[in-house]
Amino acid sequence: MKDDAVYEQTQNLVQELRRGVIVLAVLSQLDQEQYGYSLMKSLEDQGLQVDQGTLYPLLRRLEEQELLASDWRVETSRPRRYYILSEFGKEVLENMISEWDRIKTTMDKLLSYEKEI
Amino acid sequence: MKLIDLYLDEIRRQLPPRNKEDILKEIRSTLMDMVEDRNPDPTQSPNEETLKSVLKEFGSPREVAAQYGAKNYLIGPRLFPTYLQVLRIVLIVIAAFNILGVVVTIIRQPNIDPGFLDTIAEVVGGLFSSLFTAFGIVTLSFAGIERTTPEEWHVEIDQEWDPDQLIKHEDVQRVSYTGLAFEITLTLIFIALINFFLDQIGIYYLGDSGWVSTPILNDNFLRYIPWITAYSVFDIGLNLYLIRTGFWDKWATLAKVLINAFKIAVNFAIILGPAVITVSANAWENLGFDLDFTARQLTQGMNIGLDVVLGLAIFGLIVETIKLIYRNFIKGSGARIEIHPD
Repeated sequence: MKDDAVYEQTQNLVQELRRGVIVLAVLSQLDQEQYGYSLMKSLEDQGLQVDQGTLYPLLRRLEEQELLASDWRVETSRPRRYYILSEFGKEVLENMISEWDRIKTTMDKLLSYEKEI
Repeated sequence: MKLIDLYLDEIRRQLPPRNKEDILKEIRSTLMDMVEDRNPDPTQSPNEETLKSVLKEFGSPREVAAQYGAKNYLIGPRLFPTYLQVLRIVLIVIAAFNILGVVVTIIRQPNIDPGFLDTIAEVVGGLFSSLFTAFGIVTLSFAGIERTTPEEWHVEIDQEWDPDQLIKHEDVQRVSYTGLAFEITLTLIFIALINFFLDQIGIYYLGDSGWVSTPILNDNFLRYIPWITAYSVFDIGLNLYLIRTGFWDKWATLAKVLINAFKIAVNFAIILGPAVITVSANAWENLGFDLDFTARQLTQGMNIGLDVVLGLAIFGLIVETIKLIYRNFIKGSGARIEIHPD
């Protein structure tokens, strides 16, 4: 019973943690143009699972914020919407990566301190 | 692929109109990619089982639509606080009307009999019925506003909050929600009285067959009713605006000044116009006032009394208007009347 609760709570918090990094992960993969499904597979292959319900609306939001550009193209008999980082998106991504490095260093320090205890 | 079409139709029904077809096109493209990926034999059309598993994985149409901003609520977080405030006011107003109904019933039927208790029960029952109707109307109105007002109009929820506001508003004169709600209630009762129950405003006395009333406002008063109703409605509108904004801004002050000027003009017109009060001699006799004065003299006295009351009201309105102008236009915009929930 207790193990179930621990597992469930961990899953909830991990999901929250992932949610926080999804934008950065998505932007980082779009220096080359990709359509939604290929992006999802690519993230999954690299160990980050993002469900469609989160990814597609996120791509649209990022496009509305002018971080991404997109266009429809017909390939292999089916139209697909391809997304790519805009110039503005590239600058924002650069700043986010610097911030991520700072957060990572801080978290590494905090977590190694925890381990020493 | 009929299953996919049905699935997309279901999502279409729940999506917001903006970019609807484009979103559906992208979902279809993704679903086809997923199906292609899962199809065990790419040379054959995907079987129903594969399609179902893909759709299940993609999520229920309601969930998918919600991810794209479909509104699954009647009144959203931006309007909800105002909605609750309006409901609270409606509750107070309707309760006040019904309590007034009970009081009038008690006054009119001093002898308690079974019929009297039935009347009270009817009034209480009427309270619930009026509440349901009024709450329904308010809810539907807010749902309409929620769906028709552009998103960018609801900006206050995202506006940056500045702690300095706490200090800036610390010393301002406070007005309570209860005060405003009470004012709205009284104004509504007043509007109802002069428009629908004018003959009930009068002198009440106990006759042979119970309480009898004699109206005191004559036909001369009728010409002022539209004007009095108009400024009362403006007053209610202003009070609702104050509840919404929480403080007196320049527009509210300007509106109040104009309403007061309007009231002053109407009061002057009543004072300068023909007498609006007439009381029948019969009513004075029943009240035992027929010894030293004639009915005509007493009626004249009441008209003079009314003129004095209206004159005092004009004086009060002028003082209030000067104060408002001084506080909000001359002294500066820092002074605001804050509303605090209580």
